[in-house]
Amino acid sequence: MADTVNKTLDPQLNRRGFLKGCTMAAAALGLSDTMIPKLVEAAATAERPRVIWLHFQECTGCTESLLRGSHPDLARLILDIISLDYHETVMAAAGHQAEQNLLETVENHPFILVVEGAIPRKDGGIYCKIAGKTAMEILGEVAPKASAIISIGTCASFGGVQAAAPNPTGAAGVQDYPELVGSTPIINIPGCPPNPISFLGTILHYLTFKRLPALDSMNRPLFAYGRKIHDQCERRAHFNEGRFVEQYGDEAHKLGYCLFKVGCKGPETFANCPAVRFNDVGVWPVSVGHGCTGCTEPNFWDTMTPFYERLPNVKIPFAGSVQSADQIGKKILGVTAAAVGVHAVVGVGKRLIKGNKDD
Amino acid sequence: MVTYEKQRCWSILLRLFHWMFALSIVVLATTGFYINNPWAGNMIEGSRAWPITSYVRYIHFIAAYTFSSAVAIRLFLYIFGNKQERVLDILPVTGRNLKNLFSTLLHYSYISDKHDERLGHNLLAGATYLITFFAALFMILSGFYMLFPEVAFWQKWGVILLGSQQQARLYHHLVMWWFIIFSVIHVYFLTWNDIRHPEGLISSMFTGVKFKQKV
Repeated sequence: MADTVNKTLDPQLNRRGFLKGCTMAAAALGLSDTMIPKLVEAAATAERPRVIWLHFQECTGCTESLLRGSHPDLARLILDIISLDYHETVMAAAGHQAEQNLLETVENHPFILVVEGAIPRKDGGIYCKIAGKTAMEILGEVAPKASAIISIGTCASFGGVQAAAPNPTGAAGVQDYPELVGSTPIINIPGCPPNPISFLGTILHYLTFKRLPALDSMNRPLFAYGRKIHDQCERRAHFNEGRFVEQYGDEAHKLGYCLFKVGCKGPETFANCPAVRFNDVGVWPVSVGHGCTGCTEPNFWDTMTPFYERLPNVKIPFAGSVQSADQIGKKILGVTAAAVGVHAVVGVGKRLIKGNKDD
Repeated sequence: MVTYEKQRCWSILLRLFHWMFALSIVVLATTGFYINNPWAGNMIEGSRAWPITSYVRYIHFIAAYTFSSAVAIRLFLYIFGNKQERVLDILPVTGRNLKNLFSTLLHYSYISDKHDERLGHNLLAGATYLITFFAALFMILSGFYMLFPEVAFWQKWGVILLGSQQQARLYHHLVMWWFIIFSVIHVYFLTWNDIRHPEGLISSMFTGVKFKQKV
C-alpha cells in the first residue's frame, strides 16, 4: 500500500519507509515517540520548503552518502520533504536553465540554503568558479536571502581538506564569511561525510518546530554533536580496564580492544557515530576496527594527524623538522641536566682554585 | 664571629601552597604520562579485570583539584600575603628588583661573589615562579576544558583560546615539560644556595624561618 500519506510523495516511498525514516530522525533528535506523529505531519505537509544546494570545493561525498548510504527510503524521504530547486548533482536542468532556476528561487521564494564544500578566498576567489562566477560571489548573492544555512560536511563547516596547511587556495568554511552571509543563521553538520540522519534530523526539527535545533559553540546541533565519541563508544570498557590494541592486526585487535594507543581520536571528537551509526547496517569506523580520525572537528587534517599517533607532531621553529612532543621534552630536559651539571662543576672548580670566599 | 638571627619569612599558607603544588605536580606528571600512553596493557576480561585506566584518571583529577586549589592560594598570597609573598616583591619592574635581578644573574654565573641578599625570593627565582604560575593557570584552563568539554563556559573559552580537544591535549602535554624542567633547575639551585649561604633555604619551606646575619 504505497503512498497513503500524501499523494505528492514519491510513489516508490511506501508508508512503512516513510515512518521508519521519521522515527530514525526522532531517535537521533532525542525526541519522545509521542513526537513522531508531529514529525510525520510536518514532513507530509504539501508546503515543502525550497532548498538550494550549492557545491563548491568538495568531492560530492556528502551528497553521495546522503543518496546512497542508507536504504533508499531515507534519501527519498529527504528529497521528498524538501523541494530541491537547485542541486548540481541531481537536478534535471542544465546550463542557463539551471542558473535560471537558482535565480528564480533566490529572488521570489523563501528557501533554506545547503552548502557543500569550502569557499576559496585567495586571489579574489578564482580557484572555484561556477557559471563564470566565483564561489564567493555566488555565496554573497544567495546566502543573505536564505532563511537558514546548513553547511553540510567538514569542508563547508570549517574548510576541510582544502583548508589543510598550507591551504593554497585560502579555503574556509561558510561561517568564516560573515561579510557575505550577513545575519542568516548557520548550522554546521560536519563530518567526512556526516551522517545523513543528522541532516534529516535538522531539517525535520526545522519543519516541526519552525526553529533551528540547539547548537554548540561551533554551531553544530547538540543532538548530534553534544557528546564525545569516546563517551559513547562500545569499546570504552576496554579503555577503562586497560585492554589496548598495540598495533593493527595483533591479538588485542582481533579481540576488539580499545584503539586509543593506535591513535583513535574518539576522546577528542564530538559526534553521534557510535549511537546512530552508518549505512543502515549498524557500522561505524571503530566498530570495524579502525580508530576515529576526528573528522567532525575543525582543521582535523592538521590537528588530528598523524591519524595513528596519540598526539600531533610539533614543528620546530627555524629547524624545519617535525618531532613528537615527548622527543622535544626529553631533549630540552637533557640539555637542562647537562647545563646544571656544568654549572655545578664550574662552581666546584672555582672553589678549588680560589678557595671559599662566601660567608 | 658572625651571629645569625631567626627571621620569619614564609607564612603557613605559603608553605601549604608549596607542598600542595609540589606533590600534585609529581602525581599529575606521573599519571599524565600514563594516561597519554597507558603502558600497563593487559588481556584480562570479565570479573578479574580491574579498571586501571579509570583509577589513574581519577587520581589525576584529584591531584588536579589539589593543584588548582594551590594556585588559588598562591594568587591570594600574591595580593594579600606578607611582604616577601606579594607579587610586587618579585616583579622585575622596580629599580630595587631590577638591581637584584642583575646581581643574582652575575652571582649565579660565578662572575661576582657579591650577593644582593634579601629575605624573600631573589628576583631570578621569583620571576621564574611567576612564569610557572601562569603555566599553571594554562594547565588548569586546558585541563578543565578537557574534563568538562560539554559545559558551555569551558567549551566557549576552550575553543577560543585553544581550539579543538586535540590541540588542548597537545598544549597540555607540552607545558607539562616546563614543570619537569623547572623542577630540575629549582631543586638544583636550592641545593646550590643552601651549600653556599647558611640561611637555611631548604628548611625554610618547612619551618617558615630563615637565618640572617645580625646587623
